[in-house]
Amino acid sequence: MIRLGSLAAVGLQAISRIAQLVAVILVIATFNFVLVRAAPGDPAQVMAGQSGAADPKLLNDLRKEYGLDKPYLVQLASHLGRVIKLDLGYSYRQRRPVVDLILERLPATLLLTVTAFCLALLIGTTLGALAGLAAGSVLDTVFTVLSLVLYATPVFWLGLMLVLVFSVTLGWLPPFGYETINVQLSPLQHALDIMKHMIMPVVSLAAIYLAIYARLMRSSIIEVAQQDFIKTARAKGLSGPRIVVGHMLRNALVPVVTVAGMQAGALVGGAVVIETVFAWPGLGRLTFEALLQRDYPVLLGIFLILSIVVIALNLLTDLVYRLIDPRMTTGAA
Amino acid sequence: MSEAAQIDTPVLAVESLSIALPKGGDRELAVENVSFAIKRNEVVCLVGESGSGKSMIAHAVLSLLPRGVGIVAGAVTVAEENPAQLDGRGLRRLRGGKAAMIFQEPLSSLNPLKRVGKQIEEMILAHQQPVPSAAEVQARVQTLLTQVGLPNPQLLERSFPFELSGGQRQRVMIAMAMANRPALLIADEPTTALDVTTQRQILRLIGDLRRERGMGVLLITHDFGVVADVAHRVVVLRHGKVVEQGPASEVLRHPKAAYTRELIDAVPKARLADIHGTIARPEPLLEVVGLQKTFRVKRGWLQPAREVVAADGVSLTLHECETLAVVGESGSGKSTLGRMIMRLTEPDAGAIRFGGADLRQLRGEALRQARRQLQIVFQDPFASLDPRQKVGDAIARGPMAYGMSRTDAMALAKRLLVRVGLSETTADRYPHEFSGGQRQRICIARALALKPRVLIADEAVSALDVSVQAQVLALLAELRQEMRLAMIFITHDLRIAAEIADRVIVLQKGRIVEEGSTAEVFTAPRQAYTRDLLDAIPGRAFFDQPGFAAGNASEFDDRVQRDALKM
Repeated sequence: MIRLGSLAAVGLQAISRIAQLVAVILVIATFNFVLVRAAPGDPAQVMAGQSGAADPKLLNDLRKEYGLDKPYLVQLASHLGRVIKLDLGYSYRQRRPVVDLILERLPATLLLTVTAFCLALLIGTTLGALAGLAAGSVLDTVFTVLSLVLYATPVFWLGLMLVLVFSVTLGWLPPFGYETINVQLSPLQHALDIMKHMIMPVVSLAAIYLAIYARLMRSSIIEVAQQDFIKTARAKGLSGPRIVVGHMLRNALVPVVTVAGMQAGALVGGAVVIETVFAWPGLGRLTFEALLQRDYPVLLGIFLILSIVVIALNLLTDLVYRLIDPRMTTGAA
Repeated sequence: MSEAAQIDTPVLAVESLSIALPKGGDRELAVENVSFAIKRNEVVCLVGESGSGKSMIAHAVLSLLPRGVGIVAGAVTVAEENPAQLDGRGLRRLRGGKAAMIFQEPLSSLNPLKRVGKQIEEMILAHQQPVPSAAEVQARVQTLLTQVGLPNPQLLERSFPFELSGGQRQRVMIAMAMANRPALLIADEPTTALDVTTQRQILRLIGDLRRERGMGVLLITHDFGVVADVAHRVVVLRHGKVVEQGPASEVLRHPKAAYTRELIDAVPKARLADIHGTIARPEPLLEVVGLQKTFRVKRGWLQPAREVVAADGVSLTLHECETLAVVGESGSGKSTLGRMIMRLTEPDAGAIRFGGADLRQLRGEALRQARRQLQIVFQDPFASLDPRQKVGDAIARGPMAYGMSRTDAMALAKRLLVRVGLSETTADRYPHEFSGGQRQRICIARALALKPRVLIADEAVSALDVSVQAQVLALLAELRQEMRLAMIFITHDLRIAAEIADRVIVLQKGRIVEEGSTAEVFTAPRQAYTRDLLDAIPGRAFFDQPGFAAGNASEFDDRVQRDALKM
């Protein structure tokens, strides 16, 4: 009956969403283009300035070489044309294809953000659930105060303080970078080395999200605990743990998933700051450098990739949401 | 009369029970010195208004009292055990094992994210020792679903609660409660949220199951209509104390306490003798012609949209100072009709003539002026007031939107609050500080602030207790005379329709199946559907007795006895 077509329905819904995505991406690409040009200065100016010979002829030559002398609309058209062909262009400054630059940095950023996101979600919801179940207790108060402090702490400040304590004072952890350079390591040692480098950036990045999920899960659990069906479960003679696992957790997770899905994209934005603080060789730092140099193709390429990542994450959230809450599949709720 | 051979040990004994409320409540004891017992195969109704402590007693039986509320004196014995003295394991064995409970709102009482079959399975698995095999459990679930009269159990057990109707959900709750053959079933207002026909079916089902299994049933209700239909014995509660108790027929016919009398009188009855006669007036105030509305409900991606006909050529007229009741089951299109007249829902076809113009043709300012004269009061007074807006503001906002100064509008709001039976000072308070009945009065004041000519009441008293219901109905009747209001009263409760309306329209699946003066429709219904609706009224068998009003006739006694045993 109604449920039979639901798997197929999820599939079809995904296809339709993907069609919408293409349109959305083109709009975003246009917006990015306008935004990047809106900042004062262009790559030719920066390059001419750095070469110490900023005479008009050099400027004009550079602009001509990079196609910056053409009208904006023509430049936009050629940009969108490349986006459709998935061609991200060529970096003026680094003299390398933008795709290569991004692919080189993407794994480091993903490693950082995905780890931070999973940790924040896992630890945050667990702590939040415990606090919510013990609402009003000492444990609850401690968790609540702690999450408030984490929530209020600026990401970069937390990063710097961690470096101060664990690297400068205690000397336990490397203060920056992705791996120790100039040493010969076995694959296992290499992995451990990277993990050691990851600890502080991941903790700084995860802290605020962990706090958000914990607070959200706490209030969600408290709300679910007051629902009628929990009373039903008690009247059925189910044990406490069974009620929590069988009836409370999944219902309480629904709002958390919604918020987490929306924030997964923002996490990548937060990575720009953290990567700069910890000299993490990821997309964040690439963005920062490209911005200083007005390296248009690199900036546009990164923005485009990030937009696609955010959209993909939203799509994923929608699908996860449908799996958790059957009422979403038929749109009947 | 095999039932006469009942075993005398009570399945539930409540002795001198007192339950304390937390400090700062409106009274010290929620329940004070209450005693009663339920034998096997017996239905005992606990009757009282909300706040009378009836739910507290039910919750105490399964030791489910909310935090901060506790038994301070007396004891409860369920199947020879005292829940207050049981440890966690013993208590879990009792809950859902020897005594099971069902609640008022079956949708919120079921976990929305779990298939109903799983929720029933859980009940079996938590109690059966040794744990039965998966196949056995599956078979038990199927049997239970069949026993509670659910069609197609294989499909049904795979459904989620939101996919079922209100009646089906309550049947699922009952199937769950029956899973471990409890000796006692506690039903806390099990039919209040359901429409009359479904209500009757559910009460019958509970009666059948009781007879088959010899269960004791503790049924909590505020409705003496339900009592008259199902109870063997009645316990009437007020402010936590027993006002009166005894065999149902005795209490219904010779109530000793004035309060019991009041509750019995509050059951809206077809006042067949003095129906306000309808004199045909030449010019109708509102005329609806051939309204048509079909909703297309999108389902999954692969299924075609389901079409629901909400209105199929509905026509009606309404005169000044006349009350028209629109009755029908849920889903019959009665609320949509009200919304279309207000132009809150756009009809597909038809005309709505009001004040010499077709409302459907009006746009902009003309529509705004016409709307002022049509006002609506909704079912849920909790949801229809902005929780962050003071009551006075909520009432004054309407006139202000039509150009009245703030001072004048606030003065008007205060006058109206007094008129609907509240005090002037209530204008500065927020909606959450009022009870359901008071809030509905506020909603009425809000609607009246615009001096409407037509008031549409969409299930306006359905969410209220019977005695409060009677008060609000009386208020509406007074206001009708005073302001020469024409009213469209949308309700699923025929007793209310009979109480207030001059004429009645019966809707079924968007079509008018019967219409006429209240007297005609109630005394000589022409359609089978109308007769079904009338028969489904709880307590009809009792209250329609000619002997009831006079309080004599021994033949009537027999009839009640017979009905009670039929259960």
